[in-house]
Formats: sequence, structure tokens, C-alpha cells
Amino acid sequence: MSLTQAPDAAGSATAPDALREPCIRLRGVGLRYQAERGETEALSNIDLDIAEGEFVAFLGPTGCGKSSLLRLVSDLIEPTSGTVAIRGGPAIAARRANGFGFVFQDPALLSWRTALGNVQLPLEVVGYPVEQRRAHCEALLDSVGLLKFKDAYPHELSGGMKQRVAIVRALAWNASILLMDEPFSALDELTKTQLQDDLLRIWSAERKTVLFVTHNISEAVYLADRVVVMSPHPGRIRTILPVDLPRPRTEDLREQPEFLSRVRAAREVLRA
Amino acid sequence: MSSPKRRLRSLRWLDQALPPAIILAVLLIVWQATVRAFDLPPWLLPAPSDIAARFGRTSNLGYHTGMTVIEALSGFVIAAIFGVSLSGGIVHSRFLERGLLPYIIVSNAIPIIAIMPLLTIWFGFGIVPKIMICAIISFFPIVTNTTRGLRSADYRVIEFMRSINATPLQVFLKVQLPSALPFIFAGFKIAASLALVGAVVAEFYSSDRGLGYLIITSATELRTDLLFVAITILAVLGVTSFSVFGRLERWATRGER
Repeated sequence: MSLTQAPDAAGSATAPDALREPCIRLRGVGLRYQAERGETEALSNIDLDIAEGEFVAFLGPTGCGKSSLLRLVSDLIEPTSGTVAIRGGPAIAARRANGFGFVFQDPALLSWRTALGNVQLPLEVVGYPVEQRRAHCEALLDSVGLLKFKDAYPHELSGGMKQRVAIVRALAWNASILLMDEPFSALDELTKTQLQDDLLRIWSAERKTVLFVTHNISEAVYLADRVVVMSPHPGRIRTILPVDLPRPRTEDLREQPEFLSRVRAAREVLRA
Repeated sequence: MSSPKRRLRSLRWLDQALPPAIILAVLLIVWQATVRAFDLPPWLLPAPSDIAARFGRTSNLGYHTGMTVIEALSGFVIAAIFGVSLSGGIVHSRFLERGLLPYIIVSNAIPIIAIMPLLTIWFGFGIVPKIMICAIISFFPIVTNTTRGLRSADYRVIEFMRSINATPLQVFLKVQLPSALPFIFAGFKIAASLALVGAVVAEFYSSDRGLGYLIITSATELRTDLLFVAITILAVLGVTSFSVFGRLERWATRGER
């Protein structure tokens, strides 16, 4: 009897391993697509593990496949080679479980819905209890200081306010993985730093796994636990820089020498 | 708090409506004075007062107007139902797009009057061929506008919806259709006035009722005052449908500017 139990025992022995399994695991991921002039290789041989609750920034010039990477992780597109695993399962399972919250460079709000209506949109899709939707979304808007604008239409909001609504929309149903595709790059400097601090505050409270695409070096260093520096044609990982700066990070960190030295290091890798 | 706002709104309305009303009044007075001064015969140009009197004395106006409205409205509704559904198919299927678009364009290229005799051979002199003319003529703007509108949906919002596992129906109802509404109403606006044109033209060809029939008979009998009455009614119908759909269009674009 004990012998027949052996495989089970082996199985349970791997259980702690499964617990330590990364939130996102990319192995040999490549992406090719048919462009007008022959085949283009958008991503080549990407290997990357991202831990649960980690904040990872993807830094690189345009054309390095950063945005494609987010689409691969969230199962909007499929890799042409390699595997994408979310907590050990396929990406499509995580998508079906409403595991992803997407934020784009443009707010991409529905112009005919108010701020509150836009935040409620995903809740109508993921099957959130109807009677709690409104209060929940008002609380979310309140958390980014937009409660008094809940009945405003997007055209009545500033660029920063719209992007706040878009972020809150991605947080509304408790997605555990936040995918952000250059969310602050269209904003002015002051608004950008405010939203960065907003994001860090939300992240430290909820500890979601964040994949943050940017081409702004200091933004990547300021926000992330690790900065994945990528190079273009084909998109691949050049190096991964850990950012071991203490948290919570605040505005005055930006003038500290240890912050600036990491920004410089990242810039040198990008230039090389 | 809302009462001064409301007063302001009614003032603005007056501000918009007053100038055209004044111009109309001036025009009518000049018209009336010219007819009286030069003693123009009523078959050439009836005075506004004569036209108004004819309007009051013609008892079957409601009947003729009703016929034309029923024809135009039925044709329009049929075109709206088929047109919007067809656009839904076109944006979701490459095959339907490639296969149908040429014929939709051809249907618009054929002068509508040219097929009226054919429809009469097939369907007789009743209301059916007239409704069909109205449907055919209003079909094209509805399909083209709706298709363009459905395509206008923000692809990132669609991507966002897909990333949270929304069904194609949810994407259609919550994103694509609402984005298309302003285009659809703009198409309806054009289609409704075309349907009215279709009804009148169809009545020209073969009819014993409707405003088109009234126009043709009063023209051949040189009852110019009645002709003006019919034209005025058509103008009112056209303006009404135009402003109804204009309002809907503005409502649908309430979040833009």
C-alpha cells in the first residue's frame, strides 16, 4: 500500500514548489507576424518570471515589443513559439477568470458614459453583484479624488482625470494582474508624478502584480521592483535591473544620489 | 436654482427662432403685396392669403398626407431594420462585406424612378410598390452610416473588453452599437427625407392618392394654390423628420464635443 502511495507523496512534495511558482512565467516566448513586407519578428526568445505582487517595468524604445508582451500575457494574442503561464495555468484561463486589468496610453473611455458609468462597465461584464456596483465604484473614484466628478462625461475631465478613471476602471473588479501600456506618457510632468504616486499608493495597499510598459527611464526606476530593459528588432530582453530602493517611495527620492545612479545605469544599458 | 437656467434656455431658443421668423414674415408680406400690386393671375402665382384659404377649404388634405406618410414611414422602417442588421453582419463577416458591398453600391447607382415601372408590373398600383421604393431609396444611407459607425468603436476599448472575457454580444451592445448611434441617426436623418421623396415620386408615376398625386393633378388643372399647399405640407414633414433625428443625433453625441 505504501508503495502505491509513493506517486502521491511525490505529488505532495511538489506542492510547496507550486506555491513558490511565479505569478507569470514566460519561456522562450517569440512572436512573429505577417507584415506588408514579409515576416516581422516582434519578440524573440523571452524568458521571464514575475513574482506574485511584483512591480515590473518594461523599458525600451518603440518597436521592442513591449506592448505585444502585455497582449501575450493577457491572451489577447498568442505567441508563435514558447509558453506563457499564469500561476501555472494557461493565459486563457486567467483571462476567463477576469484576472487582468488593462490600462492604455489613451484613457479609452466611453464618451457616452459618465466617469461612474465608465468605471462600472467592467463590472457589468464580470458579473459583479448589481446592488453593490454603484457604491463600490463611488468608493473607487473617491480613492483617487474624483468622487465629485462622478457624473461628468469624459470630455468634461482633464487628461489626468481621465487617466485616473481608466486606472480605477482596471481596478474595479479586483483583477490580480494590472497591465499598463505607457499609461502616463501623454500627461504633463506634474500630473504624471501625481499619478505615479497614486499608483504606488494603490499598489502598496492591494499588492497586485503590475506589468508597466514605459519609455521613460526615471519613471521605470521610480515605480518598479525590477526594470526589464528591452532592445528592438527583434524585441528581446537586454538586461534586468533590480531596483532595490526602499519603499514607500516618495517625491524626494527623485533627487537622491542612489536613485539617480540607477537611472544612469538604466540609461547606459539602453544606449549600449 | 434651475428656473433662471430654464429662462435662459427659453431666451436662447427665442434668439434662434426669431430671425428666421422675421425673414419669413417679410417674405410673405412682399409676396402678398407683389401679387396684389401687379394683379397676378392665381394660376401663375397665388397670394399667401389664397394659399392659406385653400388650405382651410381642402377637406381631404389629411387623407392624402396620411397616405404619403404611411408609405414613407413603412419604407423607412423596413430599410432601417434590414439596413442596421445587414451592417451588423458586414462588420462581423469579411465574406458578407466583400460579397454584398458591390450590390449595395449598385442599388444606390440605379435611378430609383427607373425601376418604378417594373415594380408596378409586379405589384400593381397599390401601396406595396410605393413602400418598396421608399425602402430601397432609404436603404443606402442607413447601411453606409451604420457600417461606418460600428467601425468607429475605439479598438482599445474592444481590446479591454476582450481582456476581461466579454462576449461578442456584450462588446456589440456596450461598445460598438453605442459608438455607432450618432452615425445611425445621421443616416436615419438622410434616409427619412429620401423616403419622403421616394413616396412622392412613386405617387407621381401611378396613384390616385397621396401628396404626389395631389401635386400632379393640381398642376395639370392649374390649381396652383393647391400645389403650394401640398408643397408646404411636404416641407413641414421634411423639417419635422429632420429635426427629430437631429435631436436624437445630438442626444447620442451628448458625451462628445
